[in-house]
Amino acid sequence: MISISPKALATGSEPLIKTPLDLNNLSPEQVALDINKLNLYYGKKQALNNITMSIPKGQVTAFIGPSGCGKSTLLRCINRMNDLVDDCHISGEINLHGNNIYNKHVDVAELRRKVGMVFQRPNPFPKTIYENVVYGLRIMGENNRRRLDEAAEQSLRSAALWNEVKDRLHESALGLSGGQQQRLVIARAIAIQPEVLLLDEPTSALDPISTLVIEELINDLKKQFTVVIVTHNMQQAARVSDQTAFMYMGDLIEYSDTNTLFTTPLKKKTEDYITGRYG
Amino acid sequence: MDNLQIGRHISGQFNEDLERVINNVMHMGGLVEKQLTDALAAVDTTDVTLAKEVLSNDYQVNAYEVSIDDECTRIIAKRQPAAGDLRLIMAIVKTITDLERIGDEAEKIARVALENFSSSQQDLLVNLDNLGRLVLEFLQASLDAFTRMDCDAAIKIHQMDDKINREYEALIRQLMTYMMEDPRSIPQIMTVIWSARALERIGDRCQNICEYIIYFVKGKVVRHTTAEDMKNL
Repeated sequence: MISISPKALATGSEPLIKTPLDLNNLSPEQVALDINKLNLYYGKKQALNNITMSIPKGQVTAFIGPSGCGKSTLLRCINRMNDLVDDCHISGEINLHGNNIYNKHVDVAELRRKVGMVFQRPNPFPKTIYENVVYGLRIMGENNRRRLDEAAEQSLRSAALWNEVKDRLHESALGLSGGQQQRLVIARAIAIQPEVLLLDEPTSALDPISTLVIEELINDLKKQFTVVIVTHNMQQAARVSDQTAFMYMGDLIEYSDTNTLFTTPLKKKTEDYITGRYG
Repeated sequence: MDNLQIGRHISGQFNEDLERVINNVMHMGGLVEKQLTDALAAVDTTDVTLAKEVLSNDYQVNAYEVSIDDECTRIIAKRQPAAGDLRLIMAIVKTITDLERIGDEAEKIARVALENFSSSQQDLLVNLDNLGRLVLEFLQASLDAFTRMDCDAAIKIHQMDDKINREYEALIRQLMTYMMEDPRSIPQIMTVIWSARALERIGDRCQNICEYIIYFVKGKVVRHTTAEDMKNL
């Protein structure tokens, strides 16, 4: 390791780049999700090979990699969406606050309340904007009108949508633009105050400006939630995430802080992928 | 060039952009090398025509710097280079700044040939010869390492600057003795000192270029590190 001589270091000034977290030595309170030796099979085909990683709390972690590398599969494991796939077997653990979510006694509905998810295409319900946002709360038994109103406003504000829809809360959500619908879906996901928010290519169906709005939103959201995002757009991963994991053919090839991964990746495969070379 | 692996991008356009910019840096390096060689030869032989040629060619070096800079900015804006590509662009942007400054130093040296040295004082200029040869060798080795992006060579030749610094100090001591012996020669001796200083600065800039090569290949910043740390790379 190269050490910089003391006289070269500016004293008393703030460092330009924040010191990255040491992802191999996170303290338990820094960890949101701890994935341990996770293997996943679709039938006989193994889609994830022995994935072990810790996702830090209150940060944005991105998964990147070519199609079919297992990044969406891994994301879906985190709220057990793969349970819905026939013939899918999983071994290993994913610990949320030290509790394995694949434990037999875990209530999957309760897990998904804690781990919200937003998909590639906006999928609002054919209801009013307001009803979309408070849907989760209503299911959880909340009927107090005032509390629902408050939650709706707060969620819509957090999702940077409030100013655009405050005058038409009781109109159909289907009348919103694609970018607005996606933010509405995010508002719906955060209304129930999850701990982790999973975003599966949230901007791939959106125009560049809506994409930037959502990226800005992701940056705000990490103050309250741990965000995990899958994206095909490498520059997006570079822009929004604190940590990036590069996956290839079901393996986790490299996982480090985004600044390091995009300037000095350690593995040849990572370098080839992020610089757009043949593997 | 093997280290660069430029031709392996999926985007052929990106390959072409990078190749063009690297070719330009090599042309610029060749031009700067020629400027320094000519400047030293002009001083050595008091060749006024050659010295004037060096002065009038400096604009070419400057033009290269501006156009390469421009090209790099365009690549960053359009291609968002990452990892090795990004380090390459950063290394190029910094290298051309140093090359341009080396060109300026060569210009300063050439001006010495235009001064009227009496034949007795001509001997003073001979002292520059040795230092000049060392610096030229260092510049050639640095440009060669840059062309091949050869990190091992860069680490090795990085130390040549120490030798140049020692030679420079010895020369200054010698020139100070002359000044004490014959104060009337101080104006001419000062001119020689400025040239020696220019050569010493070129050595530092060659060292910078070696550091950029190491940064590109290894991704490690070796500026402001000790010689001991360099060995542990």
